[in-house]
Amino acid sequence: MYRKKAWRILGLLMVALLVLLIAGGCGGKSATQNNAPSQEKKEGTAATSGKYPEKPITIIVPYAAGGSTDALARAIEKVWTKYSPQPVMIVNKPGAGGVEGREFVKTSKPDGYTLMIGYGSGEDLIGPQLQKVPYDPLKDFTPIARMSIHSTIICVPGNSQFKSMQELINWAKTSKQPVTASVSTATGNVNITMRGIGKVTGINIVPIPHQGGAQAITDLIGGHTIVGGGSGNEVAPHIQAGRLRPLAVDLPERDPAFPDVPTLKEQGINFYSWGSVKGIAAPAGTPKEVVDYLAGVLKKVSEDPEFKESMKNLYQPILYMGPEEYQKFFKEAYDYFGKLIKDLNITLQ
Amino acid sequence: MGIFEGLINGFSIALQGYNLIFAFVGCLLGTAIGVLPGLGPAATISLLLPVVYKMSSPATSIIFLAGIYYGSMYGGSTTSILLNLPGEAASVVTAIDGYKMALKGRAGAALGIAAIGSFIAGTIGVIGLSFVAPPLAEFALRFGPPEYFALTLVGLLLAVFLSGSSIVKGLITLLIGLLLASVGLDPMTGKVRFTGGIIGLQSGFDFVTLAMGVFGIGEILYTLEQSLKGEIVTTKIGNVFPTIKDFIEAKWAIIRGSLIGFIVGILPGGGAVVASLASYAVEKKCSKKPEEFGQGAICGVAGPESANNAASSASFIPLLTLGIPANASIAMIFAALLIQGVTPGPFLVKEHADVFWGVIASMYIGNLMLLALNLPLVGIWVQLLKVPFGILAPAVVLFTCVGVYSIANDTFSIYTLLFFGLLGYFMRKLEFEPGPLPLAFVLAPIIENSLRQSLLMSGGSMAIFFTRPIAATLFGIFIALVIAQGLQSLRRRKRSEVSPEITTGEFNTAFVKLSTGNKLNGKG
Repeated sequence: MYRKKAWRILGLLMVALLVLLIAGGCGGKSATQNNAPSQEKKEGTAATSGKYPEKPITIIVPYAAGGSTDALARAIEKVWTKYSPQPVMIVNKPGAGGVEGREFVKTSKPDGYTLMIGYGSGEDLIGPQLQKVPYDPLKDFTPIARMSIHSTIICVPGNSQFKSMQELINWAKTSKQPVTASVSTATGNVNITMRGIGKVTGINIVPIPHQGGAQAITDLIGGHTIVGGGSGNEVAPHIQAGRLRPLAVDLPERDPAFPDVPTLKEQGINFYSWGSVKGIAAPAGTPKEVVDYLAGVLKKVSEDPEFKESMKNLYQPILYMGPEEYQKFFKEAYDYFGKLIKDLNITLQ
Repeated sequence: MGIFEGLINGFSIALQGYNLIFAFVGCLLGTAIGVLPGLGPAATISLLLPVVYKMSSPATSIIFLAGIYYGSMYGGSTTSILLNLPGEAASVVTAIDGYKMALKGRAGAALGIAAIGSFIAGTIGVIGLSFVAPPLAEFALRFGPPEYFALTLVGLLLAVFLSGSSIVKGLITLLIGLLLASVGLDPMTGKVRFTGGIIGLQSGFDFVTLAMGVFGIGEILYTLEQSLKGEIVTTKIGNVFPTIKDFIEAKWAIIRGSLIGFIVGILPGGGAVVASLASYAVEKKCSKKPEEFGQGAICGVAGPESANNAASSASFIPLLTLGIPANASIAMIFAALLIQGVTPGPFLVKEHADVFWGVIASMYIGNLMLLALNLPLVGIWVQLLKVPFGILAPAVVLFTCVGVYSIANDTFSIYTLLFFGLLGYFMRKLEFEPGPLPLAFVLAPIIENSLRQSLLMSGGSMAIFFTRPIAATLFGIFIALVIAQGLQSLRRRKRSEVSPEITTGEFNTAFVKLSTGNKLNGKG
């Protein structure tokens, strides 16, 4: 009896100790990681000391694996080593809808070894204008290159009566019925596009937010909503199978991945958006020669035939821009979305 | 593609060399983690997600993970029977009669019937899966937000009715699960809720951490507090082939268990745990000698073990057709599919036919492999258990912490793990059945979203739930269930007025015993 009790207490103690040890041990490690950048941030020395890059470069995907940003990162990874002596490592840091990954990059050393992909998505251009986030998308990052833009393809189910945007708008106006619209999330570009269309045409569009593009599209195909939209890779297979019919694209010009789909403007609807911009950025304060080096590699990547092929399969048009150009573009898109959010009176309920 | 064409295509994929190897490795690993208490399939699969990432095809990775999942259902029985310590949650019930059988020197028969029952049920489950899933996927497109809302609500309620000793406690657990799930980003608008300004909570609690804490750490803390009497009955395993008499006695239990498992497995929120509990209750009711239950009834082993295997195959159905993961492990497989660029949902059967049929075909093969792994090799698995619990427990804690840490490479997870471990410990101590907690947690966003989406669609009118045929039918079932449960508890109260000892009713006695600690403290 006595011995058994001793074993029990020993066991309990060991468990308690282990948990504390592990938690404490890891805590210590991450604490030093967090402290490091703040000490070296001002100097930004690591990169300038020798030839850059000296070790593999980490690209943070601030979303779970499997999404369109992740797919872009993998396509870059595949051809990267053709143009740079050091490989890239893709690390997914999902959480808080893309906020955690961005915060991680913001607090990383600005030495060119930690980059972020997806700079220009909703979490940079739209989200921060709707609620407080722990980063400033304009000040906390150094833009490196724009790689692609995912437009929103506005679709109706394959068996829908509507063949064009005008038919849909006419129906809504004569029947006075609300037009339910499947959208991925409330902070997403599809939602803004739908509200924008409602605003400029005067019809009652009711956006139904989902937990992501895939679910929104499934609801649309099932005919539970009248209209909807998604990015190219989300809708393309269904368009080919006849389950969805594309009506319009929301960019100022046609999407190179969907050359047959007219823009909203072409159909007399005076509205456009900037889609989801997929660029690569580094923490603010990254040395210029590092930025230029990375932008150069990415430029070559964007011209690589193998990369072009993968992007074609992903229905993501390649729209490369260098650092300065991209920064200007980003600011323009940011201000445009800010104006849209104000005009459309979008808030998070 | 027809079902038979599909299956032939599937076998051509499953029989490819590397797919066969990964199916085998998956089954082997599954059995091992099923045997080891504490490290369940969900934890293991989450640990292996980075490995899966590097695999060339989605079919291979899911074949591998599925092997771990249903393999663990076989292995789980071993520890339950020999150590009175369930290797994973779905084998909890097996411990009640299995351990008693082992104490009586019939460990071999118990292990044997568990393996054979698992094989028969697993195969029935896979056959069901091959025939039910494709037509269901076609049908699934008709599920819009109101239907999803009805389905998940009914699923949750079923889980409470089936798994708890007390409905009130079950509902409280369910509410805790729903509350925990509401921390973090609002799933529809992206607005931050209930984080108290803690950045680590912005993405909400992690499901794996919650499951590992409540089941893994909570279980170990509770077990350590109890006397560590779980001696391994290794000396008397004897012949692992049950006698003809055993088999005749157990055959209907196996068939009933398979059917119950399959039906429960299809329900979102069903899954292997609920299936094995339901089967035990049914076997006890059907038995001519219900007094034998809890004393080493072979049907009390055969039924639940069959049920959890049939359910583990069937729980792939809501995943592959609706994109609703039924339980923790399936949620992990859901994540793995997403990693590979395959979105589970109504289009999976059509667009990823190779994945769908390849995985199903591999399950036919895997079940055969597992029969071979479990019947003759049971002695080897037992060796795994010779590690004293005083060493095993810290090792499992270590694995759990590493596993949790590796998910997001974040220490915050370890603190939340500890928090959930304490929650699990107190729940067990206060006799709350933890099952509905993770379930409510997984289903909460679906419930919340689909309710809000439905009301947006209808402009705020509740009529949408009763004017659409599928939703209306589901709500009909829901209301019938509530009434049936109400009547049962009324009857129970009447009965308890007559004889005060019977306070919980026939149906629930088994679970009361379970939650009062029959399974782990060794006193019962």
